[in-house]
Amino acid sequence: MLSRVADSLFWMSRYMERADGILRMLKINYASSQDDIQEFSWKPVLRIFTFLKDEDAAALAKNTRAVLQFMVTDKDNPNSVLNIVTQARENGRSVQDHITKEMWQCLNDFYHTVRQERLIDQLQREDPITVLDTLIKEGLLYYGTTDVTMARGEGNSFINIGKLLERAIQSADILDIKFSDLNYELDKPADTTYWKYMLMSISGYELYLKTYRGGFEAKKVMEQIILNENFPRSVIYSVRHLHNYFSRLQNNSNSYGFNEIDFMIGKLESKIKFSTPDTIIFEGLHHFLTETKISLFEIGSTLSKNYFGHS
Amino acid sequence: MQTSELLQSYLVDANTWDEMYKDASVREQYKKALDFLQQLSIDELNKKEELAKRLFMSQGITFTVYSDGEGIEKIFPFDIIPRIITAAEWDFIEKGIKQRLKALNLFLKDIYSNQFIIKDGVMPAQMIYSCPHYLREMHNFPVPYDIYVHISGIDLIRDSDGSFYILEDNLRTPSGVSYMLENREITKRIFPDLLPHNNVRSVTEYPTILHRNLMSLSPRQIYNPTIVLLTPGIYNSAYFEHTTLARMMGVELVEGKDLVVDNHKVYMKTTSGLQQVDVIYRRVDDEYLDPLVFDPGSLLGVAGIMSAYRKGNVAIVNAVGNGVADDKAIYTFVPAMIRYYLNEEPLLKNVPTYQLGKDDEREHVFKNIERMVIKKTNASGGYGMVDG
Repeated sequence: MLSRVADSLFWMSRYMERADGILRMLKINYASSQDDIQEFSWKPVLRIFTFLKDEDAAALAKNTRAVLQFMVTDKDNPNSVLNIVTQARENGRSVQDHITKEMWQCLNDFYHTVRQERLIDQLQREDPITVLDTLIKEGLLYYGTTDVTMARGEGNSFINIGKLLERAIQSADILDIKFSDLNYELDKPADTTYWKYMLMSISGYELYLKTYRGGFEAKKVMEQIILNENFPRSVIYSVRHLHNYFSRLQNNSNSYGFNEIDFMIGKLESKIKFSTPDTIIFEGLHHFLTETKISLFEIGSTLSKNYFGHS
Repeated sequence: MQTSELLQSYLVDANTWDEMYKDASVREQYKKALDFLQQLSIDELNKKEELAKRLFMSQGITFTVYSDGEGIEKIFPFDIIPRIITAAEWDFIEKGIKQRLKALNLFLKDIYSNQFIIKDGVMPAQMIYSCPHYLREMHNFPVPYDIYVHISGIDLIRDSDGSFYILEDNLRTPSGVSYMLENREITKRIFPDLLPHNNVRSVTEYPTILHRNLMSLSPRQIYNPTIVLLTPGIYNSAYFEHTTLARMMGVELVEGKDLVVDNHKVYMKTTSGLQQVDVIYRRVDDEYLDPLVFDPGSLLGVAGIMSAYRKGNVAIVNAVGNGVADDKAIYTFVPAMIRYYLNEEPLLKNVPTYQLGKDDEREHVFKNIERMVIKKTNASGGYGMVDG
């Protein structure tokens, strides 16, 4: 496979995962904002998904409709869903002969949907959940189509590597920022709705209820998001599957490049696997998450060096 | 003749060839299609046109126009009324085009080697040497199998008496075939059963035939040669076609930066190292192909590709330097070429053409300018044109 093609598939997939993450986050936070208008703030979302300066984020944080506009349809915000989906589609467009026609049509339809002028009006005046649900569905259609139609070769591996790397980074980010709100004091009893909405935003609410009895505790939430092997958005799940898909790239011609990254992913996987909630707290949650993110970023840049270098 | 709502306001212009009507009666080949169309109201026909537009848009069968710093996707113009060409007409066109291409190919071989056509006084030397697309770099260049024109786009036009004329030859990097293939697919969607009921010949073989022909050009005699389609990239207006053909043939779509030349061989950069390329179906113009030989500022091409081509290590489709044969001034000599190289009479006629370089012809053109189209001799693809 051409290095440029691998690069584009990887980024197409990362952008789609990011769009999905942003949309889910917006939907649940919007619902949360309707529960408690006085206390609710969009600041954590803006911190996770934008590069706004603190004072700009603070100015926006109380204005729900403005945040939705900024995060979904704003042309000048590089992290708006509009721009993220455009990036995914441009990447897909340049590798149309490596994805299935059905996948290309999903990307293309998503792009044309998010560009519709009337979305701006709907987000401003009507029920935003309807708009967000429409967009989330477009993304789900892409996931399903990819799963059903994409050939299980190298291209599929790069698509999954991009998706899982992005997801691991997102989960670590979300956890870090949500806990920074509480100054990382894990024993401090927090408002139940705070954890409930956070888990819902990453589709982990039902699993939490089934796994842990007796209400919401910060430590258990952290355990699920970092260490639960059955939770598809946990850091350990993402890293383990990332390792799986990466190991399929092994062949004789690039063993140096392969081994370097295989070592990095294996090391990270082992570190997380042999952690417990207590050792993480002992190390310091913020420190643990920062180290994890640094490792993930390094895996990304080494992939780019060893597999995507084409210019 | 029954008049339905659909055709009540249709006017037949006496001075133009009408594909469907001959005087007041419907041509034989259109009867079934017309029966079908007459079952539809104008409203239904409009809905079908909407459906066609939506299908084009959702499949990304578009080209991009850039304005105000923002790309706007446009779909290709699509006439939902089918145009029918009968088997007899097609056979004649096919013969005529084969004859013309054979002569043009012989002309390119001749002009880049012995130049008998000049020596025998059929064509003035000045016609060749004044043409900017005559490339001295191609002189005595060993083009594989002496094939210069692998893929051509010969434009036809129909006169008021129904006879076909050659409007222009496109022998460099002609595009359009994918739109024909996609149009056929859309026609199947908007007019179910119309194609099988009318015995329309299939076009689905095209990518397979093209792929087979490209494989046969491989310089290495191996079972599975590497064939690539070289595109200028996603901002090229014909990018949709490049990606469609690559997909339909199952070959790699590459950009200049994906290729590298080492020791006069062309390689593509893959995730598992370099892989040698045997055949390049290029959609990059001659002048951008190799910065070492042509435009040194070009980023679209591959440095050293011409040397690999000259050594016979890679086949390039179409050959380089074809622009001299589809030049608008050379066009006037094509009938003479057919007589000279093939000793045959041309089957398909040229559109009457005047050269503005000649005093009397220029005067004639200026007097009748409202009935003329003026074209720049070395341009292609509809650029450099003035309608009188």
